[in-house]
Amino acid sequence: MEVTITNDGTKTRAVLKGRVDTTTVEGFQKDIVPLMEGENPDIELDCSDLDYTSSQGLRIFLMLQKSVIARGGKMVMANMKSQVKEVFDITGFSNIIKII
Amino acid sequence: MKKRYEPVDGRNAEIIEDVVSFAQMSGVTQDLLFKIRLCVEEVEENILCYSGTTWVDVEVGVKGGCFTVTFKDGGIHFDPLGNNDPDIAAPLDERGIGGLGILICKKMMDSVEYRFEHGCNIFTMSKRLF
Repeated sequence: MEVTITNDGTKTRAVLKGRVDTTTVEGFQKDIVPLMEGENPDIELDCSDLDYTSSQGLRIFLMLQKSVIARGGKMVMANMKSQVKEVFDITGFSNIIKII
Repeated sequence: MKKRYEPVDGRNAEIIEDVVSFAQMSGVTQDLLFKIRLCVEEVEENILCYSGTTWVDVEVGVKGGCFTVTFKDGGIHFDPLGNNDPDIAAPLDERGIGGLGILICKKMMDSVEYRFEHGCNIFTMSKRLF
């Protein structure tokens, strides 16, 4: 699992690549720590190359979303593959995280 | 395929890959492969978290047009289907993560069953191939 984070001064973009599963979730949680900092964050998670997430990954996305909202920011997940989107849909996560 | 994993601790990834390899050899679609991988991971995580078992038997097969995976373990009596499903319509601040894995299995598989037999937890899930 790879996370590449860039910031253009107004918006933070994180490109997620690979699978969030039982073997990668711990590293993923560490990799997104920079997204858990700062006020009024505007975050886009590019999910073009996110191939898979289990419920352990959902836990991280939920934690991040709650953190962003608590800091007065907003977060979107973009370009999600259909199979990954299905995981968000059937768990109701599509209702609490904006997916574009 | 039938295989015992003992000790089972730390072998979640190995179990997933074994089942996925069997599924690939059985010619399942990429979409179904994704679902099988995910559901095996979720069930295994549940077993390892709650049953405290030292071993798991995993049996995989295709029968009657269904791909079926059965997990048997010797841990404490634990019915993963015994709890209510999480409220997926709850607002963000009320959402937790408990029960999501089993919910995913229920929705992605065609059937999930649990029984406690001869001191063992037995969980079976299956999906129609066509």
